[in-house]
Amino acid sequence: MQTNNSLWELFQKRGLSRRSFLKTCAMITGLLGLSPLKCTEVVAAAEEKNLPVVIWLHGHECTGCDESFLRSQTPLASDVILNMISVEYDDCLSAAAGEPFEQHFKEIIEKYAGQYILAVEGGVPLAENGIYCMVGGRPFVTVLKEAAAGAAAIVEYGSCSAWGGIQSAKPNPTNTVAVSQIVGGTTIVKVPGCPPIPEVMTAVIMHFALFGQLPPLDTSGRPKQFYGNRIHDTCYRRPFFDSGMFAERFDDAGAKAGWCLYKVGCRGPATYNSCGNMRWWNGLSYPIQSGHGCIGCSNNGFWDNDQFYERLPNIPISATIANADTIGAVATGVAVAGVVAHGALSVVEKYKRQRQSKPEEERRP
Amino acid sequence: MSVKRVVIDPVSRIEGHLRLEIKVDESSGKVEDALSSGTAWRGIELIVQGRDPRDAWAFVQRICGVCTTVHALASLRAVEDALGIEIPKNANYIRNIMAATQNAQDHLIHFYHLHALDWVSPLEALKADPASTVELQNAVLEKYRLPLSGPVGLAFDAYPKEFPKATTLYFKTVQQKVGQIVASGQLGIFASHWWDHQDYKLLAPEVHLMAIAHYLNLLDRQRELVGAHVIFGGKNPHPHYIVGGMPCSISFSDMNASVNSERLAVVDASISLGINLINYFYLPDLLAIGDIYVKKGYTDGGGLAKERVLGYGDFPDEPYNGIANGDFHKKLLLRSNGVVENFGQGLASAVFYNLEGRDYADPAILAEGVEHSWYSYPQGKSNFHPWDGITEAQYTGPKEGNKDSWIYLDEAGKYSWLKTPKWRGKSAEVGPLARYIIIYTKVKKGIIEPTWAEKMVVDQVESVSRVLSLPPENWLLSTVGRSVVRGLEAQLHAYINKYYFAKLVKNIRSGDTAVASTEKWEPSSWPKEAQGVGLHEAPRGALGHWVVIKNAKIANYQAIVPTTWNACPRDSQAGYGAYEASMIDTKVKVADQPLEILKAIHAFDPCVACATH
Amino acid sequence: MSDGQLKAYYVYSPWLRIFHWLMVMSIVVLFFTGLYIGNPFFIGSQGLEPTYAFSERLSMETVRFIHFAAAFILVCAFVLRVYGFVVNKGDRLLPRFWTKQHWAWTMDIMLHYMLLRASHKPYLRNPLARMSYLGVYFLIGIEAITGFTMYVMVDPKSIWGQSFSLVNSLLINEYYVHLIHHYVAWLIIIFAVVHIYMAVRADFMEREGEISSMFSGVKFLAHQPVDLGEIATEEDSLVRYWDNIARDSRPHSG
Ligand code: HEM
Ligand code: HEM
Ligand code: NFV
Ligand code: SF4
Ligand code: SF4
Ligand code: F3S
Ligand SMILES: [Mg+2]
Repeated sequence: MQTNNSLWELFQKRGLSRRSFLKTCAMITGLLGLSPLKCTEVVAAAEEKNLPVVIWLHGHECTGCDESFLRSQTPLASDVILNMISVEYDDCLSAAAGEPFEQHFKEIIEKYAGQYILAVEGGVPLAENGIYCMVGGRPFVTVLKEAAAGAAAIVEYGSCSAWGGIQSAKPNPTNTVAVSQIVGGTTIVKVPGCPPIPEVMTAVIMHFALFGQLPPLDTSGRPKQFYGNRIHDTCYRRPFFDSGMFAERFDDAGAKAGWCLYKVGCRGPATYNSCGNMRWWNGLSYPIQSGHGCIGCSNNGFWDNDQFYERLPNIPISATIANADTIGAVATGVAVAGVVAHGALSVVEKYKRQRQSKPEEERRP
Repeated sequence: MSVKRVVIDPVSRIEGHLRLEIKVDESSGKVEDALSSGTAWRGIELIVQGRDPRDAWAFVQRICGVCTTVHALASLRAVEDALGIEIPKNANYIRNIMAATQNAQDHLIHFYHLHALDWVSPLEALKADPASTVELQNAVLEKYRLPLSGPVGLAFDAYPKEFPKATTLYFKTVQQKVGQIVASGQLGIFASHWWDHQDYKLLAPEVHLMAIAHYLNLLDRQRELVGAHVIFGGKNPHPHYIVGGMPCSISFSDMNASVNSERLAVVDASISLGINLINYFYLPDLLAIGDIYVKKGYTDGGGLAKERVLGYGDFPDEPYNGIANGDFHKKLLLRSNGVVENFGQGLASAVFYNLEGRDYADPAILAEGVEHSWYSYPQGKSNFHPWDGITEAQYTGPKEGNKDSWIYLDEAGKYSWLKTPKWRGKSAEVGPLARYIIIYTKVKKGIIEPTWAEKMVVDQVESVSRVLSLPPENWLLSTVGRSVVRGLEAQLHAYINKYYFAKLVKNIRSGDTAVASTEKWEPSSWPKEAQGVGLHEAPRGALGHWVVIKNAKIANYQAIVPTTWNACPRDSQAGYGAYEASMIDTKVKVADQPLEILKAIHAFDPCVACATH
Repeated sequence: MSDGQLKAYYVYSPWLRIFHWLMVMSIVVLFFTGLYIGNPFFIGSQGLEPTYAFSERLSMETVRFIHFAAAFILVCAFVLRVYGFVVNKGDRLLPRFWTKQHWAWTMDIMLHYMLLRASHKPYLRNPLARMSYLGVYFLIGIEAITGFTMYVMVDPKSIWGQSFSLVNSLLINEYYVHLIHHYVAWLIIIFAVVHIYMAVRADFMEREGEISSMFSGVKFLAHQPVDLGEIATEEDSLVRYWDNIARDSRPHSG
């Protein structure tokens, strides 16, 4: 028995005979519309693996990434899950729960050691030994390390996994970090976004299915084909930016006309994602097309780049609202006033000294 | 006479990290005690503190990506309530469409992809005869399609586009695929489940095959239901909003407008598809399965719903100028706000308590406790109204095992990251079932004159009662009832979608294209201090966000979430929460394979990231 | 050694002077175009100002083009100025932090500027100013690095993109790059205000010819500057240079 959970093993688990196993194989052969001669091949297949095994873990997350994955149109999520990979462990979709599910996890990571792909959704809380996220009675960080040890590659799905995400925003009450801050030693593919675009998520697997290898990555570990450019450099509103045509407020004439959202805080100029070119739902829309600036949801630490409606954040100075430009202008004003005052004082001082203590100056070398 | 303590952790096919522990009497199958624990906490209420209230929707939206949007809506409403912002008509209709879209899609995906495998098995499907499955499919469509509908002001779909396929070859093909998966030995998401549990024999193999076929079919189609989110909010999960309305400006004179006729067509098509998928797949499948279970006597799991259900009401038909001031509740299409006690004794003995306006500001009416939760309150305080709410983690570890390796949790001490929400000091169940019981009771008792939607609720309940030939009390208050009502609600929301789409178009036709009110956009126009409440009926039940704003920043933020109500730990004063009560009310045949428990809990559609946040 | 007379010292090479003024001009242009880029506005308070800006040919595209052109000039000037630092001893400005004397002189100057000391020792290049120039070079460096990070990432695959993307990772994300670029722009302007004042002050209060020195290269001091050795190979050559010119035009004592 070289594979786990093969049909044969299932039969064994249920205490069923080899005979009934072979009978079932014959039935399946018929079902598949194959000639009875193929029966031996079916029997062999029933004992063998063929699809890349994927383990999908959930840490500190909101499951939006899982949902996004399911929304993929090309390839369809069903084609991915049923035909490109074998998702052997995913607490969002798996039928099994509890003890047998955990048992299955252990078997899978042993049996496929060094071969499976580990997909992780969610950040890793470290505070108090990781007890802020417990899975099967153990800290998620422990489970993660266990699964990562035998992973052929790790995919960090979503900004939580890739950067720490929402829970790691200030003050990060659970001390959550990115997956790659905890595990290493193998290729890690970052697929950030909150959530990432569905087709970007599945395309990582599609690439693997098509070419048998992980997609080329940029210096941060993101697939270049999806995170290679800034949204700003691919945005359909860019001509308006270049022409200086901006929505000044939501729902003003510029907003209706679909002008650039720069002045209402768009983070497109600093955000690497495929929203501008691919868009969501195979080209249907993306936040900017729907009238809201990008909030930079695929960027490291983007949550702490708030407020989202300002290009320059307000700087907290007791109960006033000021950004770098107001503060800069004031500071420059103060500097000007300061030097003028200093100049005046210097003149007065010098005048006084010249009148009273000429000898002192004489004494100096 | 041995009582066995069984742990289910992780509970799969849910959102988040849930652990269940039950004590089962192995001889009788009775669950003597049950414990529900949320095992992860992120502290999002603390993370939004000190931030700009206009950004809050985006942060708290990430409480959950399954019921995406709902926390954004609740947050916007809370901030707008605090700042006294009334959103334009179009924005109100669009937000209602966002909400109804979410409900319909969430319910559908829940039934097929998070719940169905409690009832049907791919292995059983292998035994089905494809030709008989065709007959079954046709019979199901005849018998279980609920011929109800809401107002369809604008009907552009010439005919229903989406029917279940009912050909032998179709079912044969699906069966072959399932066979292939099984034969490959890589069961993937189907691996290692209790497929040999006897309950999988309750349904004929053909039901299994039909349902598995739809499982796959709708896995591919569910994405198309959220067209409205992608058009109006730019993406899904986590569409974008703004305080004061919607960001998606409407224009028919500009080529780049976020909303124009073509964009509206996408929304319309998506809404129509939703109606069809629910009418021709979801409801018939659900009722066919439910009918068999009910006929075979599976009507347990009612739990807390028999005693007390709670709702806040939703779908402001027109813009309102506040929630805590009571205006919101005056404008609702679905007035599921209130509490119904004792529905288990029958409609006649059911008692209704209203819940509106200032009630949401009253610490005697709504509060949260932490008696069994891993939080601490200042000495001597056992309850806090959310405006004064405190979230301070205090982890104490399990009863048996170590702090970071559990054997059993401590039901006598603290054991969950959920707080315990209370209505007048008592626990209550929330969710589709609660909403239906409340509206049904209010209409039947003449407390309200029903709107079309409320009337549809009553009609749905009554027609299902006819199909099942049982009075509502006998099937509603059960695991099956909980799941059936979710399906009914999906249908209702699909039509609410259509209804608000028509209202939106009509209003635009009248010349009003405003989607945002920005007079109070600048913080300089805000009061120095303000507090607000935002209510929403999320897919899983009544959701409330409470915000306190000081000097244009969030000074306190608290959310009481549907799954917090349902999955909360017990409380000496409030009693059991809905999960625990429902588990105690469920019979378990094989202690080591508590499939019934999984089914009962899945019927609530757990969302634990929501619950703990 | 003092004779109460102003003596001329040739300090700044033409090289330094040319690039100083190039830097001044480009920084001024960068600052104002940068502010516009950060918040595209146009005269008028409300509404769709930048549209009018566009019709006035002041589009984002143009302003950014000017900003980038000035940025290239600044960087070239900066690099060439550093080159001057290497080849012309007189152009060296690196403060000698490691010497006790440097700190003593700094104290001397500070006390003077705090109006606690009537006058300071004569310097060719005042140590406090030298530190501030090093500081402002640092700021200009930050502007160049952050600015070019934003600039080159239009083509992240390019060699520039690949190199500068490290800045993005280092500073967490590109939004912080933009913020730092914006904040530091203000710091440079604040430096400029104080710097110009100091130059003017030196001219008027101490008649050192600070301003004209940036044009002519020559400073006038009444006493022999204490840092002469650091700046010039031999003091005589400095004086002689002036002497040669001055001999013909005016009588000269000393
Ligand atoms: C030295 C080379 C410099 C380069 C390559 C450079 C480049 C850039 C770039 C690419 C931007 C962003 C433009 C956009 O988003 O379209 C920018 C913005 C800006 N630059 Fe520079 N810059 C340089 C130096 C300076 C200097 C010296 C100053 C001021 C003293 C300055 C002030 C600004 C300001 C205020 C902004 C607006 C920042 C924002 O809000 O994004 N820059 N610069
Ligand atoms: C009235 C205008 C100005 C005058 C008379 C002036 C004069 C001078 C002088 C005398 C020095 C001393 C050089 C040394 O001791 O090494 C200097 C250095 C410097 N100035 Fe200015 N300056 C003026 C305006 C500006 C402005 C507006 C800026 C830009 C913000 C600027 C940037 C610099 C820098 C960066 C240095 C140090 C670099 C070096 O030594 O070449 N200056 N300036
Ligand atoms: N409980 C819950 Fe939610 C819902 N529905 C939110 O409010 O699931 Ni994530
Ligand atoms: S990245 Fe965003 S969508 Fe994904 S799990 Fe984290 S919060 Fe949810
Ligand atoms: S909308 Fe945003 S991303 Fe698009 S051009 Fe404007 S600033 Fe750039
Ligand atoms: S917010 Fe996220 S979805 Fe795209 S447009 Fe911005 S990266
Ligand atoms: Mg809460």
